Amino acid sequence: MAWIETLVNGALLGGLYGLLGIGLALVFGVMRLVNIAHGEFMVLAAYLAVILVGLFPQVHPLFVLIPVVIAAFAVGYLYQALIMNRVARAPDPLAPLLLTFGVSIVLRNLMVEVFGADVRGLQLGELSRASIKLFGLSIGVMPLLTLIAAVLLFLLLQWAVKRTVFGRIVRATADRRDIVRLFGVKPDLVYNYVMGLSLALGAIGGVLLAVRSSFTPFSGVERLLIAFEVVVLGGIGSFWGALLGGIVLGMAQLAGLKWDANAGLLYAHLLFFVVLLIRPAGLVASRA
Amino acid sequence: MTLLEVNHLNVFHGDLQAIFGLAFSVAEREAVALVGANGAGKTTFLRALVGLIDSKQGRVRFDGSDIQDTPAEHIARLGLGMVPEGRMLFDTLTVEENLLMGQVSRRSGAWTLRRVFDLFPALEERRNHLPRQLSGGQQQMVAIGRALMCNPRLLLCDEISLGLAPVMVEQIYGAFEDIRKEGTALVLVEQDVKRAASASDRIYCLLKGRVSLTANAGDVSVTELTQAYFGM
Repeated sequence: MAWIETLVNGALLGGLYGLLGIGLALVFGVMRLVNIAHGEFMVLAAYLAVILVGLFPQVHPLFVLIPVVIAAFAVGYLYQALIMNRVARAPDPLAPLLLTFGVSIVLRNLMVEVFGADVRGLQLGELSRASIKLFGLSIGVMPLLTLIAAVLLFLLLQWAVKRTVFGRIVRATADRRDIVRLFGVKPDLVYNYVMGLSLALGAIGGVLLAVRSSFTPFSGVERLLIAFEVVVLGGIGSFWGALLGGIVLGMAQLAGLKWDANAGLLYAHLLFFVVLLIRPAGLVASRA
Repeated sequence: MTLLEVNHLNVFHGDLQAIFGLAFSVAEREAVALVGANGAGKTTFLRALVGLIDSKQGRVRFDGSDIQDTPAEHIARLGLGMVPEGRMLFDTLTVEENLLMGQVSRRSGAWTLRRVFDLFPALEERRNHLPRQLSGGQQQMVAIGRALMCNPRLLLCDEISLGLAPVMVEQIYGAFEDIRKEGTALVLVEQDVKRAASASDRIYCLLKGRVSLTANAGDVSVTELTQAYFGM
């Protein structure tokens, strides 16, 4: 029974991990760009949440998600418009990658300068500790809410990409960034919106992860690693694969911790390594 | 009235010049054939017209405005459409979604999804298919339909019969009669000179980036055209 509880809790954690990965997957799918700074932007969102909670103690901490997500969208839009679009057309694909790497270093050090290197966390009070009994299992309310939110966001994103005009334009731009211009679409503008959306999704993941575990300005690397593993595990370019990848990773982490309390993320990384050996294309093989 | 007027146009590929001092014009409702051997610069010329190539000098006037420095996404909204060489469909979008991309430019006019399906009934049956599930001719229909959905005043068609079965070419050229009835002017880039001449009012021949011949499609003789085509 205890093992089942562990796996269920791992799956709940996986919803959160899926959220960390989905923004990265979106940007990679549309612009073939690996945004190395994704982790730092997530940590930045968590800092913003901590500040807002401090400024408005009477508001429930979960409500700060709204301004944080809006701010993250704006930051993503400007990050793409002012910095990344300058190299988006570079003939060398290494240039954009290196630029995101540089941005991640700058952000990390700026956060040390502004916020200090202290360990921070986001307290939700009773909600953090609340749990319910389900089929004889003790399940945390917050992880359950997180998974539900993740699934809803995945559904919403799926709908937006498949069914809306914006989604159609995004997919067309991903297919042929030159040809969409013949129909009045400015690819750079599409990229701005997609990066905004990516960082908004990352911010939700970043804030919810800050509720679960503490962070410092240097936590971006860990978060990026999880996001990266989630995306590759699920199959690059597959949204639902990212959620599945997150769930598998979350289960592996908690099962590993139960077995060996000092393991940390070791078993999650090991599982990632093994899956990569057996199925290099990911669990959900993406379309050709 | 002149719809498109090009003067002294030079176009470059990096350090290499591909088009030299080109003069070209299309009147309203006119169909113009643009022929020439491989590498004569036909595709480069069209891509420069619609703004997909930036490194160019000279003057391009379309429907009363200078567009030589206008970005492609604005030119599309002015009503200059293109069916690109190789069709260049959006591979992950369905047939219907490909066609609807033409509406993004928000130009209103006679061409709607309904009209395009009437013109190419084969597409309506396959509206939810992906482009790779279609034959080459049907893919070309999607490319033409997608461009028509922008309701262009001038439609540039680059090598639309390339690699298609003769019966498909027949069908597609048949559609051009309907397209012209709506008042759309055409530029047909072709390697098949006879086919292009029979569907057009005037003909331009390009040789190594320069106009080697311009004539009314009815008047031109085979020897003249051969000479202009091969430069011999």
